[in-house]
Amino acid sequence: MVRVKNRYIVVQIVPEVDAGKISFNDSVLSRCVMKNVGKYYGEFGIGSTEYGFRVKYCNDKTRIAVIRVRHRPHRFVTSILPLICVIGDHKAKFRTLYTGATIMQCNKFIVKHQRDVLDKTIGTIDSAKERSDFLKNIMEFSVD
Amino acid sequence: MEITRGYYDLCIPFSDRSKLKTLVKELIELGYRTIAIEQTYDHSKKTGEKRADIFPAPEDLSFLKEFESKIKIFSRLTIIYTDVSVSHPMSKSVNLQKFHIIAGQPKNDTAWTHCCSTFAGDMITFSPDDPKIFINRKTYQVAINRGLFFEIKYSEAIRNSSHRKDMIKVSHNYHSKGKSKGVLMSSGATNVFELRGPYDVANLGLLFGLSEEQGKNAIGANCRKLLLNAESRRAGKTFFVMTAKGPIVFSSSEDEGSDDEDSALEDDAMEGLEIDLQQPSKKKRFT
Repeated sequence: MVRVKNRYIVVQIVPEVDAGKISFNDSVLSRCVMKNVGKYYGEFGIGSTEYGFRVKYCNDKTRIAVIRVRHRPHRFVTSILPLICVIGDHKAKFRTLYTGATIMQCNKFIVKHQRDVLDKTIGTIDSAKERSDFLKNIMEFSVD
Repeated sequence: MEITRGYYDLCIPFSDRSKLKTLVKELIELGYRTIAIEQTYDHSKKTGEKRADIFPAPEDLSFLKEFESKIKIFSRLTIIYTDVSVSHPMSKSVNLQKFHIIAGQPKNDTAWTHCCSTFAGDMITFSPDDPKIFINRKTYQVAINRGLFFEIKYSEAIRNSSHRKDMIKVSHNYHSKGKSKGVLMSSGATNVFELRGPYDVANLGLLFGLSEEQGKNAIGANCRKLLLNAESRRAGKTFFVMTAKGPIVFSSSEDEGSDDEDSALEDDAMEGLEIDLQQPSKKKRFT
């Protein structure tokens, strides 16, 4: 069977100052990435990536996003992610965590990754309420 | 020589202690396991004073000891030069022996030719401030055959646009003249924000004319080879690390006499961690 191949890129947004609150949504992210693809690869880059490009999942509490790009032009996107320094109005950088071919694999990876983050940080939180809030924030996951 | 693990970042410029500590912490977080702290020495600037050893001694890195279990830290000296006369003090220097890695940064064409053909170091680097070096195919091949590596520092490319263009120009030159053989990538980052994760760096290789595989090698296998080469240069011997998987069985091979003939194999042996004992006979069959 023939089907359209996609690549799903799991990225983490790392702001320059760690404590600062950062808010973004999928339209901001996609505009930022497309603008940079245009900057580095020009019209050809935009033309080849635009079809099939979509931010599938975006969570500004855990700062994780999933970007869908068509296979082959995904190289245009992955190679310029490290060069991006400004996302929306914030100074921040992308960190590629994983590149997968199906969204299920990305889902599995994110759950695993969040569990690791949880293990690292849960020890530092004192009060029980904060802890349960934190748990809720970090483990909720749904793909639209 | 200890066994090193990936990923590698062989260029972290030396700065003050607290800054370096935060950098190393971030590097561990990102997944790097072997790094090198860089010091530079500029030979092109003439200083009046005469010392016995013109090269600086390696800085004391004992304050990074707390990270010892998580990350391996090496020291590296970058020699910036225009004049070929640098090779004479290099051969006599005691301080130079203390560095794990020595890199050359030629600033003109004669220095570049010298760097590729006779320079007693491990890698060749360049700065985007003077990218007008003419890369010659022949000298490039000579350098590759001598086991030298070419370095690309990606943080310069993140910093500003004109540097980025120069970096792309030089690295594409590597691609057209020598198919980007022996290229490795390192950060050269002075603050945490310029550091990128290993996957990001491998993907960035596409901009610099590397294929996907070369991009991964640029932060993995090539750096490992470089460290082995550097160790052999320091020891004056060929160096390889052997690891055993599973039970070790010593078998007596029948054609023991052929071992001496295949001493050239030692170079090949450096490329793989596990040394296949069958390799000599295989090789003979092909020739």
